[in-house]
Amino acid sequence: MASRDQAVALLCAARTHGDVAIKLSSLRQAKDILLSVDPSLAAELFPYLVDLQYSPHNLVRKMLLEIIGEISMKAMEHCHLLVPVLLALLRDSDPIIARDAVASGIHFYCAVLEEMALQFHQRGKVERWLEELWLWMLKFKDSVFSMAFEAGSIGPKLLALKFLETYILLFTADTNDSDNSVVGGSRRLFNISWLGGYHPVLDPVFFMSDANRTLGILLDFLRSPRSLPGSLIISIVNCLSAIARKRPIHYDIILSALLDFDPNFETAKGVLPVSIQYSLRTAFLGFLRCTSHTIIESRDRLLMALRALNAGDAADQVVRQVDRMIKNGERSSRESRFSTRDDQQSNQPVISMDQSRKRSMPLDTDEQANGHVVSLKRTRYDPSSMATHTDHSEKDSILGNGTAANASLVDGDLTPAEQMIAMIGALLGEGERGAESLEILISNIHPDLLADIVITNMKHLPTTFLSLPKVGSLPISRQLGSQTSPAHVIAPPIIPTQSTSLAPSSHVSTSAQPDTSNANTFPTDSKRDPRRDPRRLDPRRTMPPAPTSIVDDIGVVESEFDGSSTLSKSSSFSVPTPAENDLDALPLNYTVNVKEEPTPELDQVSTKDEGSCTAEELVHTSESDIVPEHSYSLPDEDNRDALAVSDFEVAYDAETSFVESDEYSSPADSKECLTEETFGDLAELPLYVELDEAQQRNERNTAIERIIESYGKLSDADCGSQMRMALLARLVAQIDADDDVVELLQKHITVDYRQQKGHELVLHILYHLHSLIAVDANGNPSYAAAIYEKFLVAAAKSLLDAFPASDKSFCRLLGEVPLLSTSALKLLENLCYCDVFDSHGNEVRDVERVTQGLGAVWSLILGRPKDRQACLDIALKCAVHSQDDVRAKAIRLVANKLYQLSYISENIEQFATSMLLSAVDQQSSDVELSQSASVEQREGEVGTQEALISGSQVQSVSTMSLPEAQRLLSLFFAFKLASVVLVMLMNFFFVLLLFQKPSLLQLVFDVYGRAPKAVKQAVHRHIPILIRALGPSYSKLLQIISDPPEGCENLLMLVVQILTQETTPSADLIATVKHLYETKLKDATILIPILSSLSKSEVLPIFPRLVGLPIEKFQMAIAHILQGSAHTGPALSPAEVLVAIHGISPDKDGLPLKKIMDACSACFEQRTVFTQQVLAKALNQMVDQTPLPLLFVRTVIQAIDAFPSLVDFVMEILSKLVGREVWKMPKLWVGFLKCVSQTLPHSFSVLLQLPPPQLESALNKYANLRGPLAAYACQPSIKGSVHRSTLAVLGLSDEMHIQPSHVQTLQSSNTASTQAAANLT
Amino acid sequence: MEAHALLKRNGFDVCSYGTGAHVKLPGPSIREPNIYEFGTPYKHMFEELRHLHNRDHVLLKTVLVINLEVKDNHEEAAAGARLTLDLCQAIEDAAESWEESIDEVIAAFEAKHRRKLLYSISFY
Repeated sequence: MASRDQAVALLCAARTHGDVAIKLSSLRQAKDILLSVDPSLAAELFPYLVDLQYSPHNLVRKMLLEIIGEISMKAMEHCHLLVPVLLALLRDSDPIIARDAVASGIHFYCAVLEEMALQFHQRGKVERWLEELWLWMLKFKDSVFSMAFEAGSIGPKLLALKFLETYILLFTADTNDSDNSVVGGSRRLFNISWLGGYHPVLDPVFFMSDANRTLGILLDFLRSPRSLPGSLIISIVNCLSAIARKRPIHYDIILSALLDFDPNFETAKGVLPVSIQYSLRTAFLGFLRCTSHTIIESRDRLLMALRALNAGDAADQVVRQVDRMIKNGERSSRESRFSTRDDQQSNQPVISMDQSRKRSMPLDTDEQANGHVVSLKRTRYDPSSMATHTDHSEKDSILGNGTAANASLVDGDLTPAEQMIAMIGALLGEGERGAESLEILISNIHPDLLADIVITNMKHLPTTFLSLPKVGSLPISRQLGSQTSPAHVIAPPIIPTQSTSLAPSSHVSTSAQPDTSNANTFPTDSKRDPRRDPRRLDPRRTMPPAPTSIVDDIGVVESEFDGSSTLSKSSSFSVPTPAENDLDALPLNYTVNVKEEPTPELDQVSTKDEGSCTAEELVHTSESDIVPEHSYSLPDEDNRDALAVSDFEVAYDAETSFVESDEYSSPADSKECLTEETFGDLAELPLYVELDEAQQRNERNTAIERIIESYGKLSDADCGSQMRMALLARLVAQIDADDDVVELLQKHITVDYRQQKGHELVLHILYHLHSLIAVDANGNPSYAAAIYEKFLVAAAKSLLDAFPASDKSFCRLLGEVPLLSTSALKLLENLCYCDVFDSHGNEVRDVERVTQGLGAVWSLILGRPKDRQACLDIALKCAVHSQDDVRAKAIRLVANKLYQLSYISENIEQFATSMLLSAVDQQSSDVELSQSASVEQREGEVGTQEALISGSQVQSVSTMSLPEAQRLLSLFFAFKLASVVLVMLMNFFFVLLLFQKPSLLQLVFDVYGRAPKAVKQAVHRHIPILIRALGPSYSKLLQIISDPPEGCENLLMLVVQILTQETTPSADLIATVKHLYETKLKDATILIPILSSLSKSEVLPIFPRLVGLPIEKFQMAIAHILQGSAHTGPALSPAEVLVAIHGISPDKDGLPLKKIMDACSACFEQRTVFTQQVLAKALNQMVDQTPLPLLFVRTVIQAIDAFPSLVDFVMEILSKLVGREVWKMPKLWVGFLKCVSQTLPHSFSVLLQLPPPQLESALNKYANLRGPLAAYACQPSIKGSVHRSTLAVLGLSDEMHIQPSHVQTLQSSNTASTQAAANLT
Repeated sequence: MEAHALLKRNGFDVCSYGTGAHVKLPGPSIREPNIYEFGTPYKHMFEELRHLHNRDHVLLKTVLVINLEVKDNHEEAAAGARLTLDLCQAIEDAAESWEESIDEVIAAFEAKHRRKLLYSISFY
């Protein structure tokens, strides 16, 4: 756990630390931890690693790649998170990283392959996680392949080429031929031959043909070298030469390509043929050094080419060396043979050598032969029909003379298993006599050794048993040959049984490793491939006796040749070749009788130039050779040439052996009896019938139907299902995408899909079609392409129809097909976007389907780089869909998932931006339009009219023509749509903003000014979330605030408000806002949010502006001011606020007096804030001011109105005013008098303080004051203190009578008012 | 050796390899060099090298191999060393990776010095 935490900390540091050196060292330490802890524990940390791929530092990404490379090998099971990173790094902007990513990927690819093979081998299945990894690896392959073609840096390309080479080597069966002894030195790489023909995930057939296709790609490079840089050409030549050396099956085609390649062209850059020549020279010399027979055969051509390259001397030297090696090898082998002659065990290697040598012989002769002979010879030299007459006669001679063809491979030391095999062979050779000993021997063999024996023998199993489409050339198959010959095909009826009965030795021929002859003739037609031979399934096929069962399923068609071949072999060589023939019981006994006399003659034949041998000759030779006294009864000798070659041979051999067995009737051989038994009830070989087109089509359809039907019946034998798939694929490729057939297949596929077989079948068919398209690329691709397209769409549709939306089949299909056609994409788009109608024409949008479609889109974007853009378009299109739920889903996909992908985030941004801009611009063209657009759909017609009207407001009605009106209409509708999607669009846009891309924020401010109301509302709704996410210190935001675009004031206010809402605004923000206010934006509203953070000295200067704001804003401002910040407290106390308000001068500050009065009133309204103490304090301060505030007396009146208990205080104030000679200020004087008159009787004393003239004028103004005031002044306690002149004004100076009753009332009213005041306070 | 020294002086990371009857390295005095016998038949070496050339490329690192013919005498060695330095610097100075620019570099070198170069690309 501690190490985990440590690693997390290190990885976080690697991501967030500012210093690259620290990032790297953290990463390095994290790597050590990751590699040291348990893989499952390390896997928990992978998410942290994944983030690092976005690091802007090349070194960090490079280090990340290193880590992934190492850890993915160690913790393969857990690394599904890391592989996508690896894939992403393939496209890294730094070519060095991209290059290393390819290299790491190649290693990983090989490791995954190997693991898959091993897992299946050891446990019989492949784990789910591994299958998933393999899917990633397929994507890796696609990416790297496309890398090899696309323009780009050369460094990664070189590695991509290397991957092509590796790919071909991996998936071309390693024949373990001689040259492999030289190669090696590192751990053995995976090879397709490991799979032995079947694997649940890896389809050997597909990959082998794909390897061939890949080779074609490499070769194609050489055809147009002009466009390539020299370094690439050199690499390609090197790759090809390595392939040719390691996989001789490709040697011929590569050699021809290299020989045809003219390095003396001028490259695009006009240089460097020398180095390219040199690479060719190295390649050729490398070939010369190989002791592989295929390559030795082409020695002359190589020498010629090397002389042309001025490398004759070097070439001769190499040839001499190789010759010496071969000679040494031969000598040692001969010695070994002589020494072991007695124990008969060394024959096996000699024979196998001999065969492989001969198989390579026809190389040159083939080329000279004419068409007919070619087909004949191919037949004869094809490895699967090795034992033709010429062959075994040759074999005779060689064996008889004791000269091995090529002993370089002979290994004198036989392994125990091989010795045992030889011994078993020898025992078998003794027939009955040996049988008993054999039984004892086998029962005593240690199980391990027995296993070794079986495995050793399995080496001779065919490694290439399937047709490999050859790139760029049509197969010349035996079938073709027979079809072109006249149709008199006479099939002797005995073939099938004959072949089975003699099957035991068949593997002699089929063990042939694929070599040149195979390369020449492949694709071998289906007849040639024993596994595809329909007769194999023939129930009449009899099982041979026990020993032969081991190999019985291999050679079928050609086995009869081998039967005779062993005959002749044994004729000259008293000891048969049992070791080679595994455990077969060979028909030895009767063959002993065959004479040796033909041998010399055969020698002669075999030494002849084979090219000059005609079919006739060969046939005659063999006739005289093997069955001299046998009179065979072929129907018509003259017609023989017209026979299909294969059939002819079959017939001939079969009869031969039949007659032989009859004549020499060796009772010991049980197989002979078998032959006889089964002979009687054999069916006739089908006749060759010429079919017209319609019939052919019909046949094909029937064939497909039957195969499909057979699915249900046959058990799930994997091999069979593989074959069925291959067959169906080819048949489908041949039909004209006939509707019936496609339908039938569709039905079948959906039925079978659950078991995954349907999926495999579809993929098989599609890949086959795709390969046809690729092959036809220079011909007419349209045909295969059309079928492909049709079939893909049909299959996809049927999946949609057949399965619920939750099913993943559809997604998987699209993800795995070789190519997504336009129509398939269209289908996907319809699924996500378009309205779906059921059979009644009603709209049935199934949201689940949309989810399905979008899910597919997502996985395609991840997995198919080529179709990424198209899929992204679909997703984006859905993101602006008019339906809420579709849109919401799409937006979630785009924003949450897709936007995370670095390779498309830019596209998404562009889209969002352009959509926003276009919506805003379109709408802002006319505000009224935008209003009318919000009208519901049902008001369409009204809306139209409105649009027309509003349009006419823009354009003059009189000049508007009909087209113009239409334009406006369409604009309206388009725009209406836009307005509907608008809210969504803003959603979309803002979600984007939230993700790491706040630079788009500027755009929002830019467009805000001209945006219509709907957009503005959307912005208002979203911006709080965004702003809170960004935080107040986000510099970009401050920058925008300091220099906002025009028209965005409201937004700006909102932003500032949000920024200050919950936290104390930062100093930066305050400064910025203040600066803005001072420079650009004179509206004080912007300041309101920050007022609480301002000091008194800052608030006071702007206070008049605040008062000038609308009353509700002013109230807000007051609230902010009084609220203050936690640190400094309020900027102003309520009393100070009042003082400040009164301090505003209408003239000086340019504010109407009304505003100030309103502000005062607003304060008075807040009685809880502006209490009577506050008022008293404020009034007290103001009364001492000079000059007195204009509204002072008004405020006094208001104060007494609001708080009557203030009356005594107010009287003091009034007294002070008298002291300040208030009568000198006319406006105040009016108010003063008003106040006095309102506060009677308390104000009597104040009145009496007035100087007589002022009192006089006051009494004149308020005449009703006079009486009460005089009565008040008459009181004895008062009168004494009142100035005489004042009394004079009151008319009391002379008459001093008192009116007690009046005083009484005054007093009572006085107490009443006091009581009222007490109640109020 | 001349090229080795020159390259080293110019800050290149350089290693030298050679074949001959024996290896001579500087000793206590000019007349007493350290001599090491190879003791390996050339043939054996050749075979082994060929094996290296043909084996699977485990690390998948690209290598650029350039052959510059230099006659075995003092003058040519000095000239060759300068050429080698020139070439190495050109490769270093070119674009971000030699793969992109090798054709141009080689062509420019050939045009400038009238010397033919051979190059190949391999993996190890």
